[in-house]
Amino acid sequence: MTTTPQGAPPSEPAPEPAPGQGPAPTPDLADLAPETAHATAPETAHDTAHDMALNTAPEVAPDMAPGLAHALARARGPLPLPADRPAPPGMLRLASAASGVSAVPVWPDGVTPALLEEYQVAPVSVERAGEARRVLAACLKCCWTDLEADPWPGVAAPVELVLAAYRALIGRNDDLMRNWAIGALRRLHDSAWIVMSGDEVRLGPRCATWRPESHGQLRELVRRLPAADPSALLPMPPAEAGASSASAAGDADGAGWDEDLLGPYDERRRAEVVAAFMAVEHAAEPVQEVRFAALRDPALRRTVGEMLARRGRTLIQRRDRWTSGYADATAARIGTTLGETERAVLALVLVHSVAIPRAEGVLAEDTWLSPHPTPVEELRRHTQLPIGEMEAALRSLRHAGLLSQVKAGEEAGGYVPGPQFHRLTQAARRRLQEELILAAGPNTPLAAAVRARRRQQARADDIDTMERREQGDSR
Amino acid sequence: MRVPETNQEITLDSALTEEAVLATYRRMFAALARDSGAVVDDPVLVDIAETLFAAFAEAGEEWLTHEQMRHACRDHPVELFENRLRVLKGLGAIREVFPKPNQLRYRASFTSVVGLMFVRRMMDDGGQSEMHRLLALEDLNVADPRTTMEEARQSAHNLARAFRLWALELITLTTGTIEELREQAPKLWGTEEIARRAQSLHGTILTRWPELDRTCTELRAAIYAYSDASRRAAGRLADSAGTTRNLTLLPAETWRTFAQTASKERLAAVLDGLVFDAPAPWHDPAAIVWAVDEAPRPAPAQPTPPRSALPDPGPADAYDPGGAAVLDRLTAMAEESLAGGDSVPLEDLLTRPGDWTTARRLLADLATVDLRPELPYRLRWSDTLTAAPGGDPAWLTHGVLERATSEPAEADQGDRP
Repeated sequence: MTTTPQGAPPSEPAPEPAPGQGPAPTPDLADLAPETAHATAPETAHDTAHDMALNTAPEVAPDMAPGLAHALARARGPLPLPADRPAPPGMLRLASAASGVSAVPVWPDGVTPALLEEYQVAPVSVERAGEARRVLAACLKCCWTDLEADPWPGVAAPVELVLAAYRALIGRNDDLMRNWAIGALRRLHDSAWIVMSGDEVRLGPRCATWRPESHGQLRELVRRLPAADPSALLPMPPAEAGASSASAAGDADGAGWDEDLLGPYDERRRAEVVAAFMAVEHAAEPVQEVRFAALRDPALRRTVGEMLARRGRTLIQRRDRWTSGYADATAARIGTTLGETERAVLALVLVHSVAIPRAEGVLAEDTWLSPHPTPVEELRRHTQLPIGEMEAALRSLRHAGLLSQVKAGEEAGGYVPGPQFHRLTQAARRRLQEELILAAGPNTPLAAAVRARRRQQARADDIDTMERREQGDSR
Repeated sequence: MRVPETNQEITLDSALTEEAVLATYRRMFAALARDSGAVVDDPVLVDIAETLFAAFAEAGEEWLTHEQMRHACRDHPVELFENRLRVLKGLGAIREVFPKPNQLRYRASFTSVVGLMFVRRMMDDGGQSEMHRLLALEDLNVADPRTTMEEARQSAHNLARAFRLWALELITLTTGTIEELREQAPKLWGTEEIARRAQSLHGTILTRWPELDRTCTELRAAIYAYSDASRRAAGRLADSAGTTRNLTLLPAETWRTFAQTASKERLAAVLDGLVFDAPAPWHDPAAIVWAVDEAPRPAPAQPTPPRSALPDPGPADAYDPGGAAVLDRLTAMAEESLAGGDSVPLEDLLTRPGDWTTARRLLADLATVDLRPELPYRLRWSDTLTAAPGGDPAWLTHGVLERATSEPAEADQGDRP
């Protein structure tokens, strides 16, 4: 395990987070500071226990940060870090002159989500996967100039050069191809595989999560890709010289972070636990218990649960299927992650695909997924949302797996809630129901009941917190 | 029903009034009566009444005879119909047009129809909308300067009783099974609006007649009890239900209105604080390589098959439709037919062989000759048709085979029928 023992993080206030990483406003890094973490530490027993086991400096307050950091990275993409902060455990620290410092989670035992293929479990689906990957290959061709080094960070390349490389790759040169390629670039940017800023493209932090063993085949690919048509070349931007001095600093190779949990197991069990962990975390749909030994066996499942817990996640069961979601306490600290229009569109789809069919009695199962599509026309015509904003929101929701498109014939079809809704915990699902009722029928007794219960809950929580604080003081 | 409060001796007038009230009650609930002494035990009986009333409405001033009524209810068994009619007549819901013996025509009572409408609505929403209307009406009444204090007291008293009964029913449901609660409660519990309306009515009465303090206290207590019972029923449902089942408790129309009218902010607030994953598809190096290798290659839509560079004369023994041998044979045949002349009538040519098999072959050859522009012979058909029953051929279209004089191509076009 190469993780540096997690000593005290710098206690001075965190500097401004690195700019331009996440699409959403970056989370307040003060959250990661020990003071704040202290107040909420008892929320996750796993974290506390784990930190006590790992920390060589017990005088440091039990730190809630790793779980939150992992959850944040999952909810918002690579986590921007202040320049002088080490990466949280289990994450890879990436520092480059051009894009600042950020951290991405790495997986135990050097596996990647490609592992799912071995178990014949569908990974999160990629929209227009072939196209996106060919465009990513074109980016590699342009940005990975020094094939002796790792692909990340590479150099920045003009968008036009990438498009020219893509043109050379697929041998087509029309407007349609160009639009598709630009769409793919945008999706790659949204998922942090590349970073587009202005007319420049560079490789994104996720490219640093490719295993070094797999660099060989990429290298070979880049060598044999046709070079871009020279007529499409634009002069390199002058900033290029500075970017090349960037370096990937994997000073916290998190692959050994779970050693305390995985260590006691033999090779086979260990592989089963890791496979189950990857399956619940990265499969598109909940996975069947019978397919994974570590989900069948309660002891192994407990280890999977502990691995998830230290990442701010939790196991979610639905009958004989398992998936993972944000632990409620972590989710409460992360807060809203979607933009306003995205949330509004998603709420509309929930009303049309779940609430209305349920009110009409045609949706029997107690889930937030639904076979009843919300017609696009309904969204366009009969709501208060501007059409332009809605289209963009639909696109990004689809991309994130929050909506699935259902096609039926020429005109019919529409959107249903996407596979991410499998990942809501019981509490989150209940909360979603309550919020919908509060919004749609604020004057009904149901809404009154919801409000009353929340008040009670809040009061109970207050008392709880007070008692806890008193206990802490007396200690 | 209002019971006279003073214990006066019963006068003829009061007896008449009482009888009138009772008559109204009887008519109102006649539709629900199984016989004149009890309420129906089968919904079909109500259907018969409803069918009858509909028939009466259509008949208008024609009224209905017994046979017509039977016809309107032909879907129901005759004994059931007769029984029903007897009850309805007994309760005054259906009466003779003129009260005299051997009356054949009948009319329906307006009150019964209204009563039935009321009952149907009660079934739909458990009387919520009736309560709304009632409250609105009472509100208007107590604001009316002509209303006396006694009337206001009575009205407050009635409302208090209604609310208390309502609340009791809800409380019973709340402690019962969850299925029953789920089914019944939304019909019974009041919205905040009902409570607000009742309170405003209560306020009006109290401001106008401060003396009614005690009655109003009762009313207030009843309203609170009712609101509380509503909340408790809803609370129990909210607690018991799964994570989406409570959505059934709002009607679909409420959801639609919400979706159509809510602002972006209000919609977005629903998902406040829920955390979802950022898009993070995995692009494995192997998958990237595969995608590049499997990229659709630019290619023409229909590739031409490979061809030899050498000139290709085609197969040696190919069929040659324009072969000289065929032309020679046709020319010889045509010349033989013409026998040196410029034209020859077809009917002669075709009857000459005497049997259809030969004539048929000849006709086929002649047609081929005609259709070959490079041969200088043409057929020209006339409109004449001869029939020779028993002959061979029995039907014969007349025409001429002639030697073409002009350019073959033009002649060809001109001669085509």
